[in-house]
Parts: sequence; C-alpha cells; structure tokens
Amino acid sequence: MPDMRFAPPNPLRIADRATGLNAVSVRSYNERLVLSLLLQKEATTRLEIGERTGLSAQTVSVLVRSLEQEGLVAKGPAQRGRIGPPTVPILLNPEGAFSVGISVGKRHTDLVLIDFVGEVRFHTTLAHPRMDPDSNHSEFLETIRGAIAMLPEKARERLAGVGLALAHSETNGRDEEAYFRALQDEIEAQLGISLFIQNDITAAASGESMFGVAKPLTDYMFFYLGAKLHGRLVLNHQIYKGNSPLSFDVGIDALETELASHGKPLGPLWDRSGDWSAYQDLIEGWENRVVEQLRQSLAGLSQFVEFGTVVLSSYAPQSVCQAICGKLERSTPGVVAITGNLKPSPKAVGAASLPLSSRFMVE
Amino acid sequence: MYAVLCFGDSNTHGQMPGGSPLDRYPYDLRWPGVLQRELGARWRVIEEGLSGRTTVRDDPIEGAAKNGRTYLRPCIMSHAPLDLIIIMLGTNDLKARFSQPASEVAMGIGCLVHDIRELAPGPGGQAPEIMVVAPPPMLDDIKEWEQIFKNAQPKSRELALQFEIIADSLEIHFFDAGLVAQCDPSDGFHINAEAHEKLGVALAREVEAIGWK
Repeated sequence: MPDMRFAPPNPLRIADRATGLNAVSVRSYNERLVLSLLLQKEATTRLEIGERTGLSAQTVSVLVRSLEQEGLVAKGPAQRGRIGPPTVPILLNPEGAFSVGISVGKRHTDLVLIDFVGEVRFHTTLAHPRMDPDSNHSEFLETIRGAIAMLPEKARERLAGVGLALAHSETNGRDEEAYFRALQDEIEAQLGISLFIQNDITAAASGESMFGVAKPLTDYMFFYLGAKLHGRLVLNHQIYKGNSPLSFDVGIDALETELASHGKPLGPLWDRSGDWSAYQDLIEGWENRVVEQLRQSLAGLSQFVEFGTVVLSSYAPQSVCQAICGKLERSTPGVVAITGNLKPSPKAVGAASLPLSSRFMVE
Repeated sequence: MYAVLCFGDSNTHGQMPGGSPLDRYPYDLRWPGVLQRELGARWRVIEEGLSGRTTVRDDPIEGAAKNGRTYLRPCIMSHAPLDLIIIMLGTNDLKARFSQPASEVAMGIGCLVHDIRELAPGPGGQAPEIMVVAPPPMLDDIKEWEQIFKNAQPKSRELALQFEIIADSLEIHFFDAGLVAQCDPSDGFHINAEAHEKLGVALAREVEAIGWK
C-alpha cells in the first residue's frame, strides 16, 4: 500500500495567482466561515477566528493567506497593547468585492453599487421599468444591463453579482418564491451574471442586519416605512421568510393623501434626500398614526415572542424616523426603537447585500 | 514561556556572504537573534542552523551529517517541548549533485513536517505549530559556486510557490523570505546583516499573527 503522506500535494485550495474572484464552486465552507465572521465583525485576528470556528491556527493561516492573495482580506497594522503580544488585525478589503443592488419601488427604481464593507460607492434613481406582461421581463434585463454598464471597470471585474429587490405586488398574484426563481434563472441565462432576487422588505431587513444598525442584534422586530408600513420578524439573526404581504396603509402614501388635501408640494416626499420641513405642522398627526400601528403590531406579537428591540428602516428623513422611534418608546415601555442607517435606499443596499451574503457567507 | 526552534542552513547559522561557516554574524545580528529581540521575554528562540544542510538528502560529498531529516529527530527531542518550529531550508538541495527540481525539494520539506507531527513535540504531546519559510531566491551571479549550483538559480525562484503548495496542502504556516530579504551579491546565495534584520522582524510579525494566549 502506498504511503499517502508522500502522494502529490493536494492543497486545500492552491492559492490562485490569477487576479479577480475565484469561481463560486471552489469557495470552501471554511473560507465562507472566516468571511462571515469578518463581515459580522465578530473576529479581527487569526486567534479569534480560530477560537470562533474551532479551526486550528495553521488551517486559519492557510485560509487567510489564500483570501489575502485573492484580495478579499488584508492585514492591518499590528496593535500593541500594554500587556500581551501585539495583535495583527485581519480586515476585509473594501475593494475585494463589489455588488449591485436594484430596488424596484412603486415610483422609483433605486440602484446602488456597494463595496465589500457595505459602503455605497454609487447611487442613482432610474425610471420605474415599464411592466409588460408579454415581454419576457425585458424591463429588468434592460435595467440590469444598464446598471452594469454604468460601473467603473474595477468594480465590474470584482462584481459578486446583482441583487434585485421586488415588491410583493410585482408577482401579480403568483407564488412569490417560484416567480422569483423563474425570473432569476431567466435573467442569469440571458446576461451571464449572478443574480439574486428577494422580496424588497426582506432585502431591506437583510441590509440592516448585514451592514446597518441591526448588525449586533439577534432578535428584533423590523419595520420598513415606505409607501406602506411592513414588518418582518428577525429571530437569532434569521429573517423569518414568511414574506408576509400584509402591510398597513399608514405609510408615505397615506401622508401624501393628507398633504395633497392641504395643497402641499409633494415632490420632496418621494425624493431620496427630500426636505420635509414644509410639512412640519401636518406631519405630527401622521406620525402618531404610524406609532399607533407599530404599537398594535408589537402588542399582538408579544403574545408569542418576547423581545425589546424595534428597527425602523426607511428612506424618509432621519429626523422623522427618530421622532417616530421616540414616540414609540414613550408609548411602549421596555421597547428600544432604533432608526435604520442605510442610506440612501435601504431596499437597494439590502438587495446589494444578497450577492455578498450568498457568495461569501455561510447560511 | 514559548519555545521556537529555528531549523535551517547557513542562512540560519548566520554565515557571512562570501565567507566560510566560521565567519558568522554575532547572535544579535542573525535572524534568530532578531526574532528573539522582537518577540521578547515571553519567547525562547533556539537556533539550529548548519551550513550545507539539506531537507532529506545525505550529501555524498559533504557527508550524511548534512541530512536535515536524520538530524531533525534527535534535535527536536533534545529541545522539546516546542511550541513552534520554523524550517528554512531548500537552497542546498539545489546543488548539481542532487539533480532535483524545486517540487522535489518541497516534497522534502513535506517529509520534515510529517516527521514533526509524528514526534509530536508540542505542549501536551500535540504537534507544534510549523512554519515553512521559503529562502530568498539566489542571484544569477553566484561567483565560484556556479558549478556546484549549476542551473540552480531558476529552480530557487520556484521554491516559494512549491513550498506554499506543500504548506497549503499540509495546512501549515508559510512565509516567503524573498518578500523582505534578498541574497547578498558577494556570493549570491547568503544573506547579509541587513537582510537578517528584515527577516527576523518579518518573522516575528508572522509568529505574532498566529495568535498566542
């Protein structure tokens, strides 16, 4: 019997000297594990990575080295503490991967390019794609093709994929999951890029959880305040994928109706960085109705789950969201309400987080 | 207190470029000495550098004593327990008398790794951490050593890749000395005091990056 110790070397993954990202198929579970920890900021040194994964120091060394050669991670400068040996942080390389997120909203389509650490490098608002039921989804094809054409060269070379966030209403009554899967297969085949489609509210929740305020949170109730108010339950970092179509008509649609009846200008309402100061006197009543709906939703849910944190995500001005959160905290003792911090479009940033989580993180 | 064994050839011994094995840099200028200075009192650095040492080959001319594999076993036993073993070998395996490609030199490094794991001289009878260091590539002009090292120069430039492949496949630490240090032009394959300093500092950072409680 041959001594297999002396068989030709069979590396875990030979550090690929080519530039650019390796194919999805060769990314091992352990590499994903390491990247997940770094994306969640749960480890910064090789020692911590080893402690959290149970992998040996030498295996971590091999994994980090290959991720380093691929340009996904980089060593930071050694940190010298007062006691103990200096520590060498391992950081994600922001330029290591890029991702495009497209959120098809009721009035606008938002497009963002984010880097590997979730920083928005580029944002634009496109016209809403014209839906034509007989056109074989060419409306998305064109939007995505146009989006990729807009990217700088270095982002195109290291593009993890495109995330598309669609509202439940886009499914036109079909089963959402089946519809998204069929659409994804079709667009991937046509454009030859990795595409990930998700419900837009779930995408916003994913974005806040991966790159936003919800990063350190494990259990919370997520609300998205858009044209309407939507909720998602997040338990143990997992967004409950019920993708409930239930929404409450206390959102920006409702505010619009009210403002219109008072003859206010409506432009800033749907603008991604709009100034709402002209609505000052009318907004209070609307905020109270939003808070009342949030309070009722939480009261209903509290029969089943005990949790103390609410995340409110919206593209509405930060000050408005903070006012709503403040009122909610006062009306519901024991609840901490946090305003989401994904700008300029939580849904689009969330959509962009999908290719990164699918390609680099463990489930 | 941690113990690290530096197992190497003349470039670990500290032989001066263009000199003989007796022309040796003082301890604080050799890379193991620099490593000791950088790692501080928590570490004990043990030097085991022999001029002409190969990975696994009995040298038909210089003698069987130059075989790194046969010496490594009693050497490790003498110094155990060891937390880390750094191996920087390979240049002497490229001598014309052995006619070996870089990949076979890397296989020799693999043998040493297997032997260390079998001996398990780490704390509590575990295998210690192992770090393979690829030596800096030889210069094209190696003076009067040209015949002894006939055609070795291009192979020496392949050692880093072949060693890293072995390191990846055996899951051990790896460092390419060529990233921080070059050979000295006076003989083309020994490193001078400046290179020792850079290598010692770089290896200290690599050792620290492993993470020690």
